[in-house]
Amino acid sequence: MASPSSSSAHLGFLRHAGFLWAKVSLWLCASAIAAYVWHAPADGPNGGTWLGYTLGGMGAALILWLLWLGVRKRRYRSTLGSVKGWTSAHVYLGLSLIVIATLHCGFQFGLNIHTLAYVLMVLVVASGIWGILAYDRLPARITQLRGGSTREAWVEEVFDLNEQTIKLADQMTPAVHQRIVASAEKLKLGGSLRQQWRGAVNSKDAAALNTLLKERADTLLRERGSQTFDPTAQSTVVFMAGQLQQAGSGEAEALHVQQLLDLLARRNELVARINRDIGLHARLQLWLLFHVPMSLGLLAALIAHVVSVFFYW
Amino acid sequence: MGSESVKIAIVGSGPAGLSAAARAAELKLSHLLLEAEPHLSHTIYRYQKGKHVMAEPEALPLRAATPFAAGKREQILGAWNDRSQKLGVAVRHGFRTVSIGGSQGAFLLTAEDGRSVQAEVVVLAVGLQGNPRLLGCPGESLPMVQYQLDDPDEYRNEGIVVVGAGDAAIENALALAARNRVSIVNRRGEFDRAKPANRAAIEKAITDGRVQLIANAAPASVERSSEPQGVIRLNTADGVAEISCHRVIARLGATPPRAFVESCGVQFPSKDPNAVPAVSPRYESNVPGLYIVGALAGFPLIKQAMNQGWEVIEFIEGRSPDPADTPLLAAKFKAMPGFTTVDAAIARIRAVVPVLNPLTPLQLREFLLGSDIRTPTAGALVFSRNDYSDSFYSVLAGSVKIALDEQDDSKSITLGPGQFFGEMSLISGRRRSATVYAGTGAVLIETPRGSMNSLIASVAGVKRVLDETFLLRSIQSRIAPGLTAADLQAVVAGATVAQFKAGDVLFREGDAGDALHLIRKGSLTVSRTLAGRETVLAYVPAGQYVGEMALLTDLPRSATVKAAIATETIQLQGADFKALLGNHPALKARVDEIRLQRVVANTSTHVEDKNSSGIVQFLMNQGVGEATDVLLIDESLCTRCDNCEKACADTHGGVSRLDREAGPTFENLHIPTSCRHCEHPHCMKDCPPDAIRRSPSGEVFITDACIGCGNCERNCPYGVIQMGVTEAKQPSLLRWLLFGGAEPGREKSLAKAIAPGAVKADTPKKAVKCDMCKGMEGGPACVRACPTGAALRVAPEQFLKVTQRVG
Repeated sequence: MASPSSSSAHLGFLRHAGFLWAKVSLWLCASAIAAYVWHAPADGPNGGTWLGYTLGGMGAALILWLLWLGVRKRRYRSTLGSVKGWTSAHVYLGLSLIVIATLHCGFQFGLNIHTLAYVLMVLVVASGIWGILAYDRLPARITQLRGGSTREAWVEEVFDLNEQTIKLADQMTPAVHQRIVASAEKLKLGGSLRQQWRGAVNSKDAAALNTLLKERADTLLRERGSQTFDPTAQSTVVFMAGQLQQAGSGEAEALHVQQLLDLLARRNELVARINRDIGLHARLQLWLLFHVPMSLGLLAALIAHVVSVFFYW
Repeated sequence: MGSESVKIAIVGSGPAGLSAAARAAELKLSHLLLEAEPHLSHTIYRYQKGKHVMAEPEALPLRAATPFAAGKREQILGAWNDRSQKLGVAVRHGFRTVSIGGSQGAFLLTAEDGRSVQAEVVVLAVGLQGNPRLLGCPGESLPMVQYQLDDPDEYRNEGIVVVGAGDAAIENALALAARNRVSIVNRRGEFDRAKPANRAAIEKAITDGRVQLIANAAPASVERSSEPQGVIRLNTADGVAEISCHRVIARLGATPPRAFVESCGVQFPSKDPNAVPAVSPRYESNVPGLYIVGALAGFPLIKQAMNQGWEVIEFIEGRSPDPADTPLLAAKFKAMPGFTTVDAAIARIRAVVPVLNPLTPLQLREFLLGSDIRTPTAGALVFSRNDYSDSFYSVLAGSVKIALDEQDDSKSITLGPGQFFGEMSLISGRRRSATVYAGTGAVLIETPRGSMNSLIASVAGVKRVLDETFLLRSIQSRIAPGLTAADLQAVVAGATVAQFKAGDVLFREGDAGDALHLIRKGSLTVSRTLAGRETVLAYVPAGQYVGEMALLTDLPRSATVKAAIATETIQLQGADFKALLGNHPALKARVDEIRLQRVVANTSTHVEDKNSSGIVQFLMNQGVGEATDVLLIDESLCTRCDNCEKACADTHGGVSRLDREAGPTFENLHIPTSCRHCEHPHCMKDCPPDAIRRSPSGEVFITDACIGCGNCERNCPYGVIQMGVTEAKQPSLLRWLLFGGAEPGREKSLAKAIAPGAVKADTPKKAVKCDMCKGMEGGPACVRACPTGAALRVAPEQFLKVTQRVG
């Protein structure tokens, strides 16, 4: 039907069309290097020679075309290649810019607008490489973390667990109840960029709550342990009645505390997982926060560079 | 007990019944309209408030004494009420007809409460909704007992007892529990009749204490009381329990009207639950004087039903107006050479095409209304092999040539007047198995799948003829090309159709082989146990066959074959087939060759990695076996950018038809919630205007004829159809780039588009689903917009290939 060659269609963008764009890009770099070596102008290689202008023109054209990806990927009806093909070309031709621009300037650097454009370009390419690495590594990690579930399902379960813990806490001392409610209220998903990056969870608060509950459980256990059987002290009947009474309050509470600990452990584990998930998603996008603004900066610097070269040289 | 006596009794006040009553009133005929509910047109009355009702088919003129145009539910009901009052329609509300006895001239209609009415003729217009099953105890008809729930938000802080254990009862109980104290009464201990999701939800609600469960209990009575409103008594294992409550909501299902209709003496042509009673061109059933109109007679659209209501009164009065669809049919038939009148053309079709002979005149009319007359020039292509069209053709005049083999012209069949073709794709849901060219003077009737399937359901004769032809032609085209029907007679006579549920085993590795299975519908997986683990070797779609070794050798089965989805196969007996091969050495040579190829193919797949087998199993478990084209996402490449969803929204009126994140994942392969374009689309099953079609290239799409009834949304097991409002205008990319604001494809997730309050209530909602970007160059936008190549669309045949690379 619609997918003509789906066996090749699901190869990633880096391997698109048998590394076509990698080959084009390599060929471009090799030709540029060959021309550069062969050219050897009298006053040393620079942007002002015919080769310098050619490489500069190519570089500028490439930069404009690379920027156009942002438009092409939103032109959903366009039939001009696939977005995957564009991405593939964007990556490899973008990498070739390093060679082309360096040869264009003939390794002449200084504290000026021209070198600023160059530095911005290098930063854009570097952030692009970061992006490729992120795209290569993070997607599989998200899938692995999800384990077939979804973030919504986790969030729902967290709310559910919160409800259950509060219901359990209703039957316990007011101090415990208060802490549980506070802990549920303080839960934080996502957060600031820095927190997203780190996969933030209120670990300190969770630890404090756990300690409180464990102490309570220990106390209850100890109290129960001290009630040893002393046949001489009372009649068996009286002792058993006491035990039952104990079991009625202490053991029930110990059981509640244990349940509460289990629920909280599960909830905190989920919260941590949700935050890791948010963090991974954030990291998939984070490089773009550098790549795109710096690209626009590069465009401005490039225009300044070209204008100054033509009007003030 | 004296009972009223009228000329015409009309049972049911829906569009058809009300229209009949209005016409009778207009003509000042003695009539009585019997309606069980306290209002008219209960089915439409039950529509949600403000629902936009559509008036399809647009081309059909309305001919009724009651007005009707597309509009809001309230407007339509209001107009009907006004008109029936003005015309003086005699209505008896609360008359739930339970029996119709007597005969023409003296029918006796009896209501549930014992009232009765005498009538000379009866018009039955009860529709298909059926009557809700009542509580079956004293007090079941009190106002505080209701049998449906329109708007759960209507009730707050009430004590409500829901009776029932099905999906409707559970959904009602859960919806009401948010604001009310709800108890649910189950006759048994478990909710095992409900959908798994509903079952889990109600069990959780019961555990959480949001809903109180009263199990193993049956209602004993409902009584009014002063505080709060009433009390329901229940017989339980521990004695009688009493619950005070504001209302009782009983959701005990409905009694389908068929049993009632049959009790009136009306015959149904087949046991098929979709079958409708046969009626004459004057809408008269096999019981003289008992007329059937509307949805019950197989005409589910409001306008059709209203026209029939008007016409049936004319017929009863002895007049014979041309049916309202006559101009439509005339327009269709004009293409026919020698066309004079509609009636003559219909008579000619009936005389020439035997397969249409068992149809009643009314069925034939409806069938032709859904069909198109084609007059291709000699040599013109009708359809090509591998086209995904599924319409059915009958040859009215001239001839067609079916080319079984493109290369070899001798392997072709010529069909003449009266014969038909296209049944292979219709039954199997697969691509066309041969190319068909028109001969000289060909006049063809092309019928869409929907009309054909409803015909097969209601006319047993048509089904039998199609099945037999399918069997013969399958054997001819797949196994024994060049053999005539006479040669194959013994094999065909011994062949049987076997049905399998998903997961059923056809045969196991090591079983004695006795038959070949030709897959008629559905698909199979072939697996072997390798190193103690079941490994799927192949996926076999409809149209192919398995088990051919059994026909050639006496070796045991070499692999296990299971049904991937609900499947039907034609079983050919080994003994019959061996005899056939004995008589036809050329055929034996050919089958031997195919067998050899398969042996080689099977051995080469053995080396395949086990991982891929797991993925195939996963895909089959997700029902992908019935898909023809499914969107998959390789999550190791997916950067979660949602460009696929944005592309879909931007190219489809701002509503994305795919939900990337939802759906199951196995290893790195994710099946997002998106249409799979099933072989036998579930959505097509019950579409009143027949608006869901399949294009020749395979896309299942919804036409503008959609009336927004939501049947397809409910019928789709994969949840890929939504009711939504699309907008023609999309945000401009240039404006977004320069000035910001709405980004193309953004901020218009389906959830938002269909959220309450997102659209005005009177904006008509229509069903939206993936159409595979039909009509757009370059194929599906979702795949083309994926920057990393993670999104791919595949047909099941390609799974093995694809899964070897993913994961």
